[in-house]
Amino acid sequence: MRAPVTPTASARDAEQARTADAVVVEDLKKSYGPVQAVRGVSFTVRHGEIFALLGPNGAGKTTTMEILEGFRTRDADSGRVDVLGLDPGERATARTLRERIGLVLQDIAVEPYLTVRETVARNAGYYPAPRDIDEVIELVGLAGMEKKKVRSLSGGQKRRLDLALGMIGDPALLFLDEPTTGFDPNARRSAWQLVRALRDAGTTILLTTHYMEEAQELADRVAVIADGRIVDEGTPATLGGRNTERARIRFALPPGCSPEDLPVTALPGEDGLVTVESAEPTGTLHQLTGWALARNTELAQLTVDRPTLEDIYLRLTGSGRGVPADTPHKKRGRARKGAPEKTSEGSTP
Amino acid sequence: MSTAVPHTAARPGPGRGLAMLWHQIRYEQLTFWRNPQSAFFTFILPIVVIGAFGLLFGDVGKSSFFYGRSALQYYIATITALSILGACYSQLAIVLAARRQNGILKRVRATPLPASMYFTGLLAHCALVSTVDTVLITAIGRAYGVPLPSASQWPVLVVTVLLGAAAFCALGVAVGSLIRNAEAAPSVVQFILFPMVFISGTYMPIHSDVLSAVTGALPVKPFNDALLAAFTDADAGFAWRDCGVLLVWGVLGAVVAVRRFRWDPRPE
Repeated sequence: MRAPVTPTASARDAEQARTADAVVVEDLKKSYGPVQAVRGVSFTVRHGEIFALLGPNGAGKTTTMEILEGFRTRDADSGRVDVLGLDPGERATARTLRERIGLVLQDIAVEPYLTVRETVARNAGYYPAPRDIDEVIELVGLAGMEKKKVRSLSGGQKRRLDLALGMIGDPALLFLDEPTTGFDPNARRSAWQLVRALRDAGTTILLTTHYMEEAQELADRVAVIADGRIVDEGTPATLGGRNTERARIRFALPPGCSPEDLPVTALPGEDGLVTVESAEPTGTLHQLTGWALARNTELAQLTVDRPTLEDIYLRLTGSGRGVPADTPHKKRGRARKGAPEKTSEGSTP
Repeated sequence: MSTAVPHTAARPGPGRGLAMLWHQIRYEQLTFWRNPQSAFFTFILPIVVIGAFGLLFGDVGKSSFFYGRSALQYYIATITALSILGACYSQLAIVLAARRQNGILKRVRATPLPASMYFTGLLAHCALVSTVDTVLITAIGRAYGVPLPSASQWPVLVVTVLLGAAAFCALGVAVGSLIRNAEAAPSVVQFILFPMVFISGTYMPIHSDVLSAVTGALPVKPFNDALLAAFTDADAGFAWRDCGVLLVWGVLGAVVAVRRFRWDPRPE
């Protein structure tokens, strides 16, 4: 894939002048029969930013996205939903809205017997001012595969074709629902580069993802949705008070020592390591290493870290609370019971 | 809800609308011809059937059993009807159920292409295939010595073919809208079609008043009869009653289609 993306739409400047924010959601509600899937969600996506919506399956993430995309209706007692100045539930303006948004959805597919180029060319014909077909194919990294039938593409290549279809109309706002699922690491990095390039060229991007690394790498701002509500919102660096979180110092207890022998309070973990939490890690570390040197011993496997975005996410969504070291695939421990509860009461500003 | 000024700059004019429709028809054609399965069922099957019937019944002259026509004259009409049923009703019901289930319809819905153009594209495609089928079957009949329709009946034949195509397209979309599971679509479609063509005289002329009364109110027999008249009766004009029944079924199908059609694989 190749960056940068050439900025095309001068209409986009007009767009930004016309509406203050790309997306405004206020007190959105959606019920399926007796089940309340979305219970008063509010957030704002500014023009030209990458906004990531994170949340476990069934949290109301996809429902929220599909309401914004105009695929689903919302409950009558919802507040306001505004996408590029239009109401996605309004049939009269549906076509206008679709001309200005692009979608890359999970359960979307294309005709298996058309070629890559035919598929992109077909959709280009639906928009008033599409991007250049060959340029888009090259941007998503499918150059050289123009004549390949869609059915012969790999899962990752199909996803990239989806991405091409999402951007062919030169949208002011692009919805990406788990865009890199099934990508190998290289393809994922290229896709990130492309998404960033689109943002830099002026496209606003609303993204959902399961990969915290993706949110960390891409998003300007993130919101975490759990159980139909936004539980926190911020930048990837500050979400859940991550920037002010206590540091964690972890190491293996020297042989013949118990946690009580240490000069600071330490909590033993199941993996044989102990964890020391500290608001002032410099001093705490000095104490610990001084103690070790005086006893002429080694603090094996010593690490200092802060909670990752994933730690914060798991805490906010309630799936990692108070259960240390239950993820064998992940080396680092999670936010522990001692950590302060930062969950805010919704995010309505 | 929004107080913003509607976007007026890029409203498509009629020229752009026509261009988009043409674009859609072209790609719908391309999609169809690339799929070997659909090409087989809509063309090869009726040709094989009429080819075999030509060999089987080529010598059977005019008889009261075939309402005063030769066997092959009769089958040219009914197999043409059958091919149009396949190209419109079966094809659309199965294709739409499959496209819905695997998300192709949702992808279409995600674009600014108006639903009316999407369906016009499908309709135009079905009308074209029906026309080609009619021409092929007529030509094969000619090769077996069946006389061509009289000159005055050609416009009647064209209109009857197109009316039937439209009506069975509507019924196809309707049935395709009611089917939830794409894997079940071919069986559901056949389950309705097979007994229907059997009792409607497609393979054997009906000489039972009861059966005629019943099937005369269903869509297949009126289409068979209207085509038979168009193919074989000189200066018969339109079979108004048959065309009327067909039209009613078409409207009925269209109403169900409009009310029940879904783009989304997952119902709300």
